[in-house]
Amino acid sequence: MGTVITYTEHELVSLLKDRDSKAFGYLYDNYSGALNSIILQILNDVELANDVLQEVFINVWKKIESYDQTKGRLFTWMLNIARNASIDTLRSKNYQNTQKNRSLPENVDALGKGYTGELNIDHIGLKKVLEKLKEEHRVLIELAYFKGYTHEEIAEIETIPLGTVKTRIRNALIQLREHLK
Amino acid sequence: MNIQEYISSGIVESYVLGLADHEERADFDRMCAAHAEVRKARELFELSLEEQAMLNAVTPSKNIKSKIFAEIEIESEKINDQSFIDDDPLYVADGTRSEGPAKIKAMGWLRYLAAASIALLIISTALNFYLFNQYKSYSSRYATLMAQQTELAKNNDIMRTRLTAYEGTIAMLRDPDMAVIKMPGTNVPTSPDSSSVATVYWNTKSKDVYLLVNNLPQPPSDKQYQLWAIVDGQPVDAGVFDVQSVDGLLRMKNMPRAQIFAVTLEKRGGSVAPEGPMYVLGKVS
Repeated sequence: MGTVITYTEHELVSLLKDRDSKAFGYLYDNYSGALNSIILQILNDVELANDVLQEVFINVWKKIESYDQTKGRLFTWMLNIARNASIDTLRSKNYQNTQKNRSLPENVDALGKGYTGELNIDHIGLKKVLEKLKEEHRVLIELAYFKGYTHEEIAEIETIPLGTVKTRIRNALIQLREHLK
Repeated sequence: MNIQEYISSGIVESYVLGLADHEERADFDRMCAAHAEVRKARELFELSLEEQAMLNAVTPSKNIKSKIFAEIEIESEKINDQSFIDDDPLYVADGTRSEGPAKIKAMGWLRYLAAASIALLIISTALNFYLFNQYKSYSSRYATLMAQQTELAKNNDIMRTRLTAYEGTIAMLRDPDMAVIKMPGTNVPTSPDSSSVATVYWNTKSKDVYLLVNNLPQPPSDKQYQLWAIVDGQPVDAGVFDVQSVDGLLRMKNMPRAQIFAVTLEKRGGSVAPEGPMYVLGKVS
């Protein structure tokens, strides 16, 4: 690694919009780990997470023009791209097939060899924070944020009224904020 | 709902985490634009989320960065390629992907095409110019012919009118009731011009009088010839006439009876009784 450069967020954004590859390198070095973490928390699959992370950074490069600084921080924008890409992958047929096919042998393998390649995603990032929430709140955040279900879908899955889903998610989010502080 | 209640309703977190629906997002954007407190709350949550994510970062595989940069390289070239293709559609039609020669080949084609276009343009311009001149020439000839045609038609009308007049004259002369009274200048010893001759045609049935000027000298413009019928020794006005503009027979005044016809030169408009010199005279036989 060469000299360490730091940019203000504003500088970084305007350099990225000018397609400055050095700025893009900095962006990757700085944020790839945090984004990789959220992708892993959703997909629970290192290989797939690699592909998604790659896709996410290419999309950031392509779509930087559409990023609006008045609507939030650059990281928030990228975090949402990463989450959406992960959920898309999660919902693709391809993902569901691979999970089915490999579930048994790999788990057996993992048990046998004291497998460490697979991360225990329940103990990183937001998921760790979720553990501090009440069960009824934790489940809803899990479904809404990590599985990407709509409120209507959640109401159906959990067989609770839509209004209750909305209120509980809002309450869960308020608590989440308290735990993040 | 006041601002504080709005901020603590969970909307901030919902928005930042991408869980808010379309309507809630639009609403939140408006609130952010209007209230600094809402912006502040959003920023605080964003920062705490970012901090938490950074703390829990999981470094990805080492090769991913180079893969991403390779991909970006291709993307950038695609953008450049795109502009090249847009400028030069022949390159796409060609289908060849090899860089240099295809480009030169395409340029060659373009050059031929441009040269051919210019040549066609010159030929077309010359042809237009030639055809325009031809058109102008034909157009003027056409105008001339049209003028001639109009002239001929006019003449034809005049001829037709004259012919009709002559036909009328001949029809009258053929009439067996028509008496011909020849009036030579020689009949008048005092005639200013003894070579003068005029003829009266008198229809004895209808009593219509026609005059034919055979030869009378051109009078001064303040004078006019007048025809007289002598009835029982008294001259009776039979009308005035001009010698020019005479086309065949002149219709004069109807005359029930007469022994002699004569022509005198009078003041323009005629006289009540003959005053001027007599030119010609003829007796009814």
